[in-house]
Amino acid sequence: MAKEIPKTRLDELKETARPCFQCGICSSSCPVFRVAPELNPRLSVDSIITKGVVPREGNEWLCAYCLMCDQRCPMGVSLAEILMEIKNISAREGKAPPDVIESAETLAEDGCLSPISSRSEKKRVELGLPDLPKADPKDVEKLFIATGAAEVLAVNKAAQEAAEE
Amino acid sequence: MTTGDPKESSTGPSEVDVVSSIPDVRIGVFPCKCGKNIGAVVDINDVAEYAKTLPGVVHVQVNTYTCADPGQREIQEAIAKYGLNRVVVASCSPTMHEDTFRKTVKAAGLNPYLCIMANIREHVSWVHQHDPEAATQKAKDLVAMSVAKAATLEAQPELDVPVTQAALIVGAGVAGMQAALDLAEAGFKVHLVEKQPTIGGIMALLDKVFPQNDCSICILGPKMVDVAKHPNINLITMAEVDSVSGYVGNFEVRVKQRARYVDIDACTSCGDCVEVCPVDVPSRTDQSLTWQKAIQIPFPQAVPSSYFIDPDACLGMDLIRCGKCIDRCEQEAIVPSDKEKYIDLDAGVIILATGFKPASPSKIPRLGWGRYPNVITTLEFERLINAAGPTEGSLVRPSDLQKPKSVAIAQCVGSRNINTRSGCSNFCCAESVKCALLIKEHYPDTEVSIFYQDLRMHGKYFEDQYQKAREEGVKFIRGRVGEIQQYPKTKSLRVSVEDTTHNQLIMEEFDMVILSMGAEGIAGNFPLPISCTSDSFYIESHPKLRPVDTSSAGVFICGGAESPKDIRDSVIQASAAAGRAAIILQKGRYPIEALSARIKQDLCSRCGTCASRCPYGAITQDGTGKYTVMGALCQACGTCAGDCPQDAIYMPNFTTEQIETQIKIALQENPGNKVVAFACAFCSYRGSDLAGVSRMQHPPNARIIRAMCSGRYATRFAQKAFELGAGAVLYSGCHLPADCHFQTGNHWMAKREPRIRGWMKRNEIDDERFRVEWVSAGEGKKWQTIMTEMAEVVKKPRKPLAKPKPKKPAATNKSTKEKASAKHKSKTQAKPKAKPKKKPSDTKKGAAKKKTAKKK
Repeated sequence: MAKEIPKTRLDELKETARPCFQCGICSSSCPVFRVAPELNPRLSVDSIITKGVVPREGNEWLCAYCLMCDQRCPMGVSLAEILMEIKNISAREGKAPPDVIESAETLAEDGCLSPISSRSEKKRVELGLPDLPKADPKDVEKLFIATGAAEVLAVNKAAQEAAEE
Repeated sequence: MTTGDPKESSTGPSEVDVVSSIPDVRIGVFPCKCGKNIGAVVDINDVAEYAKTLPGVVHVQVNTYTCADPGQREIQEAIAKYGLNRVVVASCSPTMHEDTFRKTVKAAGLNPYLCIMANIREHVSWVHQHDPEAATQKAKDLVAMSVAKAATLEAQPELDVPVTQAALIVGAGVAGMQAALDLAEAGFKVHLVEKQPTIGGIMALLDKVFPQNDCSICILGPKMVDVAKHPNINLITMAEVDSVSGYVGNFEVRVKQRARYVDIDACTSCGDCVEVCPVDVPSRTDQSLTWQKAIQIPFPQAVPSSYFIDPDACLGMDLIRCGKCIDRCEQEAIVPSDKEKYIDLDAGVIILATGFKPASPSKIPRLGWGRYPNVITTLEFERLINAAGPTEGSLVRPSDLQKPKSVAIAQCVGSRNINTRSGCSNFCCAESVKCALLIKEHYPDTEVSIFYQDLRMHGKYFEDQYQKAREEGVKFIRGRVGEIQQYPKTKSLRVSVEDTTHNQLIMEEFDMVILSMGAEGIAGNFPLPISCTSDSFYIESHPKLRPVDTSSAGVFICGGAESPKDIRDSVIQASAAAGRAAIILQKGRYPIEALSARIKQDLCSRCGTCASRCPYGAITQDGTGKYTVMGALCQACGTCAGDCPQDAIYMPNFTTEQIETQIKIALQENPGNKVVAFACAFCSYRGSDLAGVSRMQHPPNARIIRAMCSGRYATRFAQKAFELGAGAVLYSGCHLPADCHFQTGNHWMAKREPRIRGWMKRNEIDDERFRVEWVSAGEGKKWQTIMTEMAEVVKKPRKPLAKPKPKKPAATNKSTKEKASAKHKSKTQAKPKAKPKKKPSDTKKGAAKKKTAKKK
């Protein structure tokens, strides 16, 4: 059921991570690590380098993508990209966390994540601004299919159901 | 360049004399059995009989051991008896015995460059043990190739140049001072040029120096005085080298000295002038932690012990604008009319000890240096803890002048970072531990934490320091500091760092943070082509075996200019450089490479390609656009000749004609079955020799042509070989990127590969028939593999070369070029001494004729 990770993708990941010498500048710069010590970008990269596997714990989903680690890495390693790729790979394996799956489902169904509030609609009328376009779930569906997100979502939902049983 | 070239006078006018001055070629061939080493496989008598039939050969003599005394004597006797003027020894590899036989023929009165070897042991008998017939045939071919080359060998004068017995040393930090004192003590004149107003370099600014933590200026000061007082040392401060011309043994140096505005001899360094100077500028010595005046002395122990005026800060040395110091100085030592001046020097050798620059923390904003007063660098710490410093030795926070209760030391700042410098600074670990120990020594209650990534206490006694620091209670935490923030009220600092041993974030408050700074290279602006690393340190000739030599003969490097290093290593290297320099100075004469490129001015199109290829800056253009080779700088790699579009560069004893004749003879029989292998003298040829010495058997298809460097293999050689029907061609050189003995020859050769492949494609030659390989002297096995694989390739029948299309402009160019070179030859042939060239040029002409016929 879980799709096999294409080998080249993990290899590419290893290639990107290789220059890392585990100095800890990324983790000490990471604003998320300060409040959620389970996200340690250094250890995520370490798992790629030394064990050659995508970390199983799923802590990378906490990354806020602020790029501070990228900015400060003395070896020029693109940590945010690595974390993103780890998320991509584990999502393909059906390991995305429930709240992310839920958001994706909402997006697929409603066409948007945050609906336009009646207050802002009123405000726009007051200001003489035109109506905001309504999100069309069909458009989003096309995007989901084109990008492969639909497939990833299906895999994750199946995994979730299997776990519930 | 003003200096004359010593080779110029010996070779006469610029017209290149392409033939030997000896009227008749009389070649003696000496096939050697090498006991059973060659004799058991190769039918040496058959080879000898064959040699007798070769053009120009007048004497052939087989010997069991040609290299033994009797064998050498026989060569000498034969030279006298038969009037031999060329000697071919068919025995082992030239790397083994070329020197031996050159000395032999020299003793018999023959120019050593007229002796050549055919390698029938390493390349034949040892690697084709099971195929005596093919081995004998290959030996014959190799002898024929050597005989043909011998016919056109040119006698080379063995040159040496007189050496000016003086050294120029640039930079008077601890390394430059050490080198200067060593050479001066050995009795040589030394010109020591220093950019700053005092000598001493960075060491003079330090408080204590590891590992014994002795006082820096106490050990350096006396040395500085020695330098100043030494009768053999000519110290020139506030000066930089402006231009250098000439070559090893004979450098002509122009030094530009800035105005000091103070007479060194008159100044008693009483300091009266400072009292009246109204201008305050940040102190360079004290790392801008305090002020100094426009008239200043860097520190009390400065050498020369004299003040100087900073002209940028001074209001004006006249009574209208200021002139207070002039008024005050009782010695009348102030010279307002002082101007910058040029000093011309002659030197036989140059030692570069230009040092490094402490890395700048301003490039790393996350650490807050410059914004937060209590973040200081190690050099600033040195000044604060120094009794001669701005606080007279008490360590205080710059923000409130209070003693810090807790200090963090962050390592690897400015080092091990691809944005600043990727390498380790070699000293910042020991420096941090020293700082920690100094703090503990002065203020035992202060808490000190060192944040390190890898603690590299590698030097002698360094580990003891580390132990001591731990005993003193210094905390060592593994993890590099991510960021430093300041508490606005207290100006204390919050250091964020991950303790990577425990995967824990530490956010701790410290009163002060010291950044342990690395080094930044400043090499590269010296007016000689000395190659530098990407981070601006000089590159040594060989990282292990010639660590203080550079690519330019007679130029040496030491200290921080070569790589970041501590005092002890700088001093060691300085003495090494002085020793190497003394070898040249002591002898009084310096031998220079006899083979050097010459430009055939009548063929030269003045495109300048050669000048861009030369790694030694030996090819220069004069005012009229004419390019000439400075023979004393040329190392004869031939990279210029390899890329010359007009083939206008003459490489003595590796000429295009000689190499093409070798190719032709190698392919005279059954060419489709042959591999023409080019090997460079320093790596690949030795690799092929190693295959022989290790008896790595491989098929006998290859005919190896040796050149000084792979840079010499022109595109046309491969084309020529394929035109003559070669089954395959190999271009082999030293490994990329940095193994080339001539620095960049292999790079230029690699750039020709696509051109050759393009040509092959147009002529429908399979790609696999041409290979570019990097074979080191240790890769005999690789050579064997390549030879075996290429032998498989040549088994397949090769289509004959398609007829060149007449519309191709390149082809017509070529024929005109050949005509031109033929014309060139006939010009020289008109002279009586041109005779020996006749044979090969005749055959060449024949080939040219054939080609034009083919075209029709």
